[in-house]
Amino acid sequence: MTHHCSRPRPTRWLAGALLALVTSLLAPAASAVETARDHDCLRCHAMSTLAYREPDSGEIRSLALDPQQLDHSVHAELACSDCHARGYGRYPHRARLTDEQLGCVECHADDPADATYRLDRIAEEFDASVHATSDHHKLRQFDCHSCHDPHGFRASQVGDDLGAIVRRDNQTCLDCHHRVTDPLRGSHAWLPQRDAHWAAVRCIDCHTPSTPQASHQILAAADSSKRCVACHSRDSRLREGLYRYRLAQDQAEHGWLASLVRNDAYIVGMSRSPLLDALSLTILALVALVIALHGYGRYRLARRRKENDR
Amino acid sequence: MSTSPLYPLWLRVWHWYNAALFLALVVSGVSMHYAGTAWLLGFNQAVAIHNVSGSLLALGWIAFVLANLKSDNGRHYLPRPRGLVRDLWVQARYYAYGIFRDEPHPFHAGPAAKFNVLQQLSYLGAMYLLMPLLILSGLGFLFSPQLPETLLGISSLWLVAMTHVLTSYLLVLFLLVHVYIITIGDSLTANLRAMLTGEHGTSDDTQETDRHAS
Repeated sequence: MTHHCSRPRPTRWLAGALLALVTSLLAPAASAVETARDHDCLRCHAMSTLAYREPDSGEIRSLALDPQQLDHSVHAELACSDCHARGYGRYPHRARLTDEQLGCVECHADDPADATYRLDRIAEEFDASVHATSDHHKLRQFDCHSCHDPHGFRASQVGDDLGAIVRRDNQTCLDCHHRVTDPLRGSHAWLPQRDAHWAAVRCIDCHTPSTPQASHQILAAADSSKRCVACHSRDSRLREGLYRYRLAQDQAEHGWLASLVRNDAYIVGMSRSPLLDALSLTILALVALVIALHGYGRYRLARRRKENDR
Repeated sequence: MSTSPLYPLWLRVWHWYNAALFLALVVSGVSMHYAGTAWLLGFNQAVAIHNVSGSLLALGWIAFVLANLKSDNGRHYLPRPRGLVRDLWVQARYYAYGIFRDEPHPFHAGPAAKFNVLQQLSYLGAMYLLMPLLILSGLGFLFSPQLPETLLGISSLWLVAMTHVLTSYLLVLFLLVHVYIITIGDSLTANLRAMLTGEHGTSDDTQETDRHAS
């Protein structure tokens, strides 16, 4: 038996290490793509034209999924059958499967993330929300999936662009409430700097009760907040929520030193106290008056002295 | 012509560095606090100016404390405990009354003692009480994600905001009085010139001082 026991040359070793590094960097992306592609279901459901016609209403319902979106979703690593367990052996699938009930809270009951997101609380909030309590005919089958597409849902992360988070979040609402943006409808005409607000805050920041974490109790239009001071004040909801996240995001992205310079988490009005402002400005004005009188007295004295000198 | 070195170069540079930053901070701070009012800076511009100037002012303050520890400049800010009340009375009486009676200035700045007791107390309060509070509360804003939600049952961010605003108002008050008080030297501009050239006392001043004393 012969042993080829030669020391690896530095260049070969370096090339090997580089290859290993590149492979390890590419591996998660490659495996995630495979996860979605591996689903047999996607052979059909990845076709963007896959759809059926609702027998009662005649409405076309899409059955297509975006594999890319699925890859990036929080459910990317699940098999389709983890949620859609029974009755999919036959093709085409049976019509009764359209009534399949899938609840997030049921699946996530034992989830360690539940401690953070408090799914039981979310269920309670949803039950009190206008989406659950209204008897509007369009809300008859309203559930979690009406807003959160399980095939594309992904919670916002520190590092995501805040503007993109606001846009994505608001798009969820605008998918149904698209008439809100109609310039001829005045539902938000009262809101100063309306477009600036829409670009910087989420619909839910005004349309849910004030809670430390985003609430799922969507309020009816009449019950929603029109109080400017809810954000522009000492107890700023935004400052404690969305914009606290923004500052954390800035620090994570650019380091704390850069966040000193470019951080923009100050919200107008949060440091205002009418009493303190009034008191301080009065004291400043009085001191300025005393100084002016003192200066005038000195001026008169200097003139008198000059006259005496003459 | 009598001249005496009063303010070393580092102190004069530090002083005008502070003065420029103070102005920038007051203008940008007011623009943020009363955002939306006419004649003020744009909000985003004000925030950027305020953050940068505030950080530079904090660095300047640290340099000031270190320089005072290394040199003997720090002793000028410490009033003599003996006769403090008497000194205070004499100085306050002069500003409020004696000055209008053409009485001589009870204090003359010199290398041994640069500041009268009222100046000492106001500089001590501004530099060692208000400035640390201002800097700490400013840092509290910048690092608000790291703050606890509440402090003694009150929103810690609100405490930070109120401390920052209150110390800012008090420092503006200090600035207002400071700018006026420097005109009460041996002549109208003697103190200002001293902070520009480092030298104190000119022939004009001496004449005026002599006339006062006579």
